[in-house]
Amino acid sequence: MANYFNTLPLREKLNQLGVCDFMDSAEFLDGVSALKGKKLVIVGCGAQGLNQGLNLRDSGLDVSYTLRKEAIEGKRDSWKNATENNFTVGTYEELIPNADVVINLTPDKQHTAVVNAIMPLMKEGATLLYSHGFNIVEEGMQIRKDLTVIMVAPKCPGSEVRAEYVRGFGVPTLIAVHPENDPQGKGLAQAKAYCVGTGGHRAGVLKSSFVAEVKSDLMGEQTILCGLLQTGSILSFDKMVEKGIDAGYASKLVQYGVEVITEALKQGGITAMMDRLSNVAKIKAFEISEELKDIMRPLFQKHQDDIMSGEFSRTMMEDWANGDKNLLKWRAETGETAFEKTPAGDVKIGEQEYFDNYTLMVAFVRAGVELAFETMVQAGIKPESAYYESLHETPLIANTIARKKLFEMNRVISDTAEYGCYLFDQACKPLLGDFMKKVDTDLVGKNFNEGKDGAVDNRKLIDVNEAIRSHQVEQIGATLRKAMTAMKAIKTA
Amino acid sequence: MKESFVSIKNLNLKFQQKAVLRDLNWAINRGENWVLGGASGSGKTSLAKIISGLQSASGDININFDQTSSLPAETLFVESWYQFKNLEGVANFYYQQRYTSQQAKETLTVHAELVSYGKEKGLHFDQVEPILEALGFATFASSQLIELSSGEHKKLQLVKALWLKPQLLIIDQPYTGLDAASRKNLNILLDQVAEESVQLILICNDSELPTCITSFAEIIDGNLVQVDAFESSTGAENHLGEIPAFLKESPVYSSQNIVKMVNVNISYGEKQVLKNINWEVKAGEKWLLQGHNGSGKSTLLSLVNGDHPQSYANELYLFGNRRGSGESIWDIKQHIGLISPEFHWYFDPTATVWQSIASGFYDTVGLFQQLPYTKSTQVDELVQYFGLTENKNELLSALPLGKQRLVLLARTIIKNPELLILDEPCQGLDQQQTKHFNQLVDELCSNGMTLIYVGHFESQLPTCIEKRILLEKGEVKVVESLNTEILS
Repeated sequence: MANYFNTLPLREKLNQLGVCDFMDSAEFLDGVSALKGKKLVIVGCGAQGLNQGLNLRDSGLDVSYTLRKEAIEGKRDSWKNATENNFTVGTYEELIPNADVVINLTPDKQHTAVVNAIMPLMKEGATLLYSHGFNIVEEGMQIRKDLTVIMVAPKCPGSEVRAEYVRGFGVPTLIAVHPENDPQGKGLAQAKAYCVGTGGHRAGVLKSSFVAEVKSDLMGEQTILCGLLQTGSILSFDKMVEKGIDAGYASKLVQYGVEVITEALKQGGITAMMDRLSNVAKIKAFEISEELKDIMRPLFQKHQDDIMSGEFSRTMMEDWANGDKNLLKWRAETGETAFEKTPAGDVKIGEQEYFDNYTLMVAFVRAGVELAFETMVQAGIKPESAYYESLHETPLIANTIARKKLFEMNRVISDTAEYGCYLFDQACKPLLGDFMKKVDTDLVGKNFNEGKDGAVDNRKLIDVNEAIRSHQVEQIGATLRKAMTAMKAIKTA
Repeated sequence: MKESFVSIKNLNLKFQQKAVLRDLNWAINRGENWVLGGASGSGKTSLAKIISGLQSASGDININFDQTSSLPAETLFVESWYQFKNLEGVANFYYQQRYTSQQAKETLTVHAELVSYGKEKGLHFDQVEPILEALGFATFASSQLIELSSGEHKKLQLVKALWLKPQLLIIDQPYTGLDAASRKNLNILLDQVAEESVQLILICNDSELPTCITSFAEIIDGNLVQVDAFESSTGAENHLGEIPAFLKESPVYSSQNIVKMVNVNISYGEKQVLKNINWEVKAGEKWLLQGHNGSGKSTLLSLVNGDHPQSYANELYLFGNRRGSGESIWDIKQHIGLISPEFHWYFDPTATVWQSIASGFYDTVGLFQQLPYTKSTQVDELVQYFGLTENKNELLSALPLGKQRLVLLARTIIKNPELLILDEPCQGLDQQQTKHFNQLVDELCSNGMTLIYVGHFESQLPTCIEKRILLEKGEVKVVESLNTEILS
């Protein structure tokens, strides 16, 4: 199988990268009707599979699960998830032939094997649904020409997909139709109906393409979302301990700080996050984040280039073939870091204290979000997609760190994201060596404002504010956030 | 003069510019056990938190613990709200998730929770066993925390407190959600620990109290006022006016069959929580649903409200349609107004009073859309009717519990639903508010609304109730029609 993207002529590459349309809520007035009465069969019953299925069934659709024979006979967790919630469960042979829509929610790594097993069983004219385009775009999987291939990707962990549905809302969702596989032209209508079934239509739907989704998703998760949050957390913790800050305090500040800080990001973008700092701290955070952007820009560009050329997926698939050697090694190393092994201390840290004593993380987040966004847009990805894959998802990932540190983050994200995260982290830490030498406890561990008189130069502050507010990620963000009519405030620690 | 056990001088507390406590003074002598009662929102819970060191305020508080006593020299505050954590430490799950099978494995068992508590506090496990027995809680040792009903959670908190025996024990709403037998046993246990020199402050308006209670007080205008007992002090009479016209319209039923269950069974793994339930509710009927804590009431209601994932495996008809025949849960919920203790716990703390009420139109937790003019006017009318106009732009979570409850009650009736499900609706309300609310329920029901009401206290029920279903250990024990005399 050849990398699909690399088989395309340049004009088609640009064409598919550029698909991006924030859909109006009026486009969903048909509700679930395009899927009503159809047999929906979900392959796999992990967190995404189970929770999407529960939502679809509660929206009046006919949902069942198909699992590999061994999973059924061994009564594995996926089998228990499905049967204990009273879904019909059967083997591929039993359920796929009657399915109108087959939903592939297995991990990326299994896609080729799963699709090869189910495709021959699928009935003429049925639909195959993915929630990530890796298999189609990077592995170049060819799907039978009579089948429709669509993507529906809720931009949240499975548990959120369910929780938001139950309260009557939903999570932002990305949909796409594969241009090589839409023989009846029904792909878009079915993808929209699926969104309504999971509740995604209430929270904003972005119409994208398989190509744009993969290239932006990989970039976001490797750099700002997981990579930089991991690097920044570890470096911050080590710095505090080195400078004599209590390890329990440092552990708590890092574990929960990123969630509290990015909650402001979620509500009002980089601007709101920076506005939580005092004027002096804001100017400082601005200056060091500019410096960080300059230091890290080549690394962000390298990640984007390797993703576009297919080099990233080639090396990762090599690691798959090699029994996940690198992934497992890096995972073990992450588990051994001092931050991971030091429990959060039993100290109270006030909400504002997380900003005042962790100015360094504010700078990391601004630098990472802006760099990821800029690099994606320069590579031909539309600003809306770039916004989702950088700023929008950062608070969601930060939330997983607050739960159980980096272990939890790396457990919740896909193996693909985890692999890319480690790849970034390995390269980024040495890159920041000299920078970190200059960092002291005023930026991380103690209140930045302590001992400073708070005076700033008017002109300077105006310039800094202007630079923050006029960035393209802020402008597109303001529009998109308005469309996502309501956002739940994550409860802070 | 002998030194007081607790001595409070010139305590002041402000909440959002408003003075809650003003130069409050209180002396609790050794051997005294107090009940703190009075109107909801008067500052009782705040005072308790201040004494327990959970909230700060200006003024002097001295607690003279007896250093020679074998009892722990500490103050324990049992909140009226429980919080539990699953293994990942996430404090609150969403309401419906307590029923999905995947989550159920992720919390601790009651036994494990008690073992870890005993270890933390240095307590002997054999001492907790009689307490578990007395509160009828021993059978729950192997239950997951997430499977417990509201009443069972309350018991777990009480078990811990009675086991610890702190020198000062403050319990906010000790009887909330407990059935008659448990309330009686709790009083016996409280008398026992008082005998062993634990001093009690109970925050409640109940009349069946332990015999050890020596003193009564309430907070009036920010000051502590000692009273003789609670007969007379039920808070200010705030008479509700005429109900808004839109609530007087009779519901239009799409089907005369509201609920029909045929041999319904629900289990979590090995544990069966409902067994062969057969039950029919017809349009306009007024039902009382009763049963001990843990008898399956909440699960039964979650089936009616469309929330239970196992609905699809059972023969269940709602509003004339078989469950799983292509309807969505939102189609079901639009016929229903529901309130329950669980629903209150999981409600969106970031919604304002007005938004919370308005969200009842869409059955959502939090408001996600702009209301059309008529609906928005109806919210205003109901806000006024419940006397909440002053609070309408405040955050729901910032109000005292009793007022929060009123807001959610308003949310429950805002769409004048065909079916009202009121699961212990008056928890946290004072007696006057409870009386008014039950009158309102009677008035709504006189227009043909269907009612399922869950309540433990026979004395605090609406008069319109005409039928009763009693659950025991997951089975239907009694289904009967009631004479109005029995209830009144």
